[in-house]
Amino acid sequence: MRVLIAEDDPVLADGLTRSLRGAEYAVDCVASGDQADHILISQNYDLVILDLGLPKLDGYEVLKRLRRRGAKVPVLVLTARDALDDRVRGLDLGADDYLTKPFDLPELEARARALIRRGQAGGSSILEHGPLALDVSGRRATLNGSPLDLSARELGVLEVLMMRSGRVVNKDQLAGQLYGWEEEVGPNAIEVYIHRLRRKLESAGVTIRTIRGLGYLLERP
Amino acid sequence: MAWATCLNGPENLSPKPATLRRQLLLWLLPPLLVLWAISAHIDYDIAKRFVNLAYDRALLDAALDIGRQIRVVNDRIYVDLPRAALDMLQTAEHDRIYYRVTSPQGEYVSGDPDLPLPESDTERVSYADEDYLGKPIRIVAVRVPVQPGSGKGAVTVQVAEPVTVRTGSAREVLLRMTWPQAILIYLSAVAVWYGVRRGLAPLARLRREIQGRSDRDLSPLPKAQAPEEVQPLIHAMNELLQRLSLVLSAQQRFVADAAHQLRTPVAGIKTQTELALRLTDPAQQQQVLHQLHTATSRLSRLIHQLLALARTEPGAQAAHAMRPTDLGREMREAASEWVPKALQGNIDLGFEGPDEPLMVRGNAILLREMLGNLLDNAIRYSPPGGRVTVQVTRKGTEVMLQVEDNGAGIPQDERERVFERFYRLLGTDADGCGLGLAIVREVAQAHGADVSLDSGAGGRGTAVRVRFPAAG
Repeated sequence: MRVLIAEDDPVLADGLTRSLRGAEYAVDCVASGDQADHILISQNYDLVILDLGLPKLDGYEVLKRLRRRGAKVPVLVLTARDALDDRVRGLDLGADDYLTKPFDLPELEARARALIRRGQAGGSSILEHGPLALDVSGRRATLNGSPLDLSARELGVLEVLMMRSGRVVNKDQLAGQLYGWEEEVGPNAIEVYIHRLRRKLESAGVTIRTIRGLGYLLERP
Repeated sequence: MAWATCLNGPENLSPKPATLRRQLLLWLLPPLLVLWAISAHIDYDIAKRFVNLAYDRALLDAALDIGRQIRVVNDRIYVDLPRAALDMLQTAEHDRIYYRVTSPQGEYVSGDPDLPLPESDTERVSYADEDYLGKPIRIVAVRVPVQPGSGKGAVTVQVAEPVTVRTGSAREVLLRMTWPQAILIYLSAVAVWYGVRRGLAPLARLRREIQGRSDRDLSPLPKAQAPEEVQPLIHAMNELLQRLSLVLSAQQRFVADAAHQLRTPVAGIKTQTELALRLTDPAQQQQVLHQLHTATSRLSRLIHQLLALARTEPGAQAAHAMRPTDLGREMREAASEWVPKALQGNIDLGFEGPDEPLMVRGNAILLREMLGNLLDNAIRYSPPGGRVTVQVTRKGTEVMLQVEDNGAGIPQDERERVFERFYRLLGTDADGCGLGLAIVREVAQAHGADVSLDSGAGGRGTAVRVRFPAAG
């Protein structure tokens, strides 16, 4: 896995390089926009981490040129500005994700991992969560390697929870996911599926929390 | 100095503004000129009438004079005009004067034989305008009885003169009447031109006073010399200056406070890194690194809050347009984002609100920032196992956001002070920097909302309530 870091702050660039090398990625690092643009023409990467405020050629321009060449490499944008339109502009130009400085290193590592996985073969179809694994295209789930007996609707609810693990999923999002299977999905139906999932998962220490008034959350393993 | 170019900008771009002077003249001169023209027209009519009267009178006198000289000898009619009178008639001032005497039978007796005869032969005196020798003339005809009471009829005496004599006189009268009026108009224009300049002199003085100021001088402008009309302007400017100086000093204080606040974590980081460089024991190094991490986290939070505060400043609000916003939805989504943080501290964060939209006029980014700060405080100051509830309700024309916790609460006498920037409660060990509630208050103010701080349910904990005017 090759990663390009385009960041002009030497301390931050050094930190990022060490962290990603620690995760067994091959990391190249450049400190200006024209260098980034140049190296992206000749080399192929699995992920680009791009600072928007680069000297000589700013991140927007690097990104614009990259996408104009038709390159599909995932790009994670770093920005010190937090005005909302800055982010939107970055994403419009073809960034895949963004982080506002300063960020937590584990957060960056997780997003980098997700982007690289997504970039490979159009994204892996296996969702993993501790002992739990879900094959999205095969519609199968396993717990500690052994098959888990789930109905199609339970699998749908679990998929949404796993895709947003550690974050709140509200009932509308769950109902939207189930809409294809059933004509009418009442809130009670969702409670029923959550209840069944909890019973099947609690033995393995996988917890689905009810968040008062907001929805459900699959606790990070 | 970006603002300086901003101030100059509009002046350079817009077309030349109308001066008061030009405006006044524009309002004054055309009506005066029109009035002048109308009055000249009327004057000319009047002049013509009086000139006509006078000249007709003179013509009639001449005709009567001639009439007196008529003699009848043996039924023949003679006109006995003295030589001097004839000369006088024929060498009249501008042009010659014509006359003709005609017998009662209509036969030519004396004078200019081609002078046209009057239409009526019964009236004693009649006037007519005719053409004679290619020129317009005015004729008076007088019928003089040959022998009064004899029934022998009357001799017609006509005297005529060219009309040009009269129009010339009428013009001259007109000129003498209109000249003074023209001079009057010219003088009033000059008076307006210089009067306006004199009248505006206090404004020019005010301009020099403002131009000559340094950008740090926000003292009030002098009011004493200004005329009454300019006083309200100076008063308004002085009020603006006063508000500006309040804002400016508040900002200076804030920048100084912020710099001091930033200094502390930076000092900590510097000390700890210097210490770490000296240490060789990995376990001790690890300890120092934890300290470093804590300090940088605090620093990063502080910077975030300083930026948030800068965003709520009045000047920055142009960038954050207010529009109808569903407060319920925004708060639900923003609260969802805080759930992981709450769970880390083992705090039960929940939401209560109706499914239907609760509309306020607001800015979603600022509103989310506000809830973020309320929740940050609530989570930070609640003990593990605590309960934090976000509630959005509508009561009449108000939409209320409430964040309630069951933590230690804020003592009654400190509830006003916690809204001040950098104010921190004594005796708490959480590492807040004292900006959270200041941000909440600024955002509320920007939305025309009230913030109040009370005890939570059952007199425990804290309930912060923000009341918005409902929209729609």
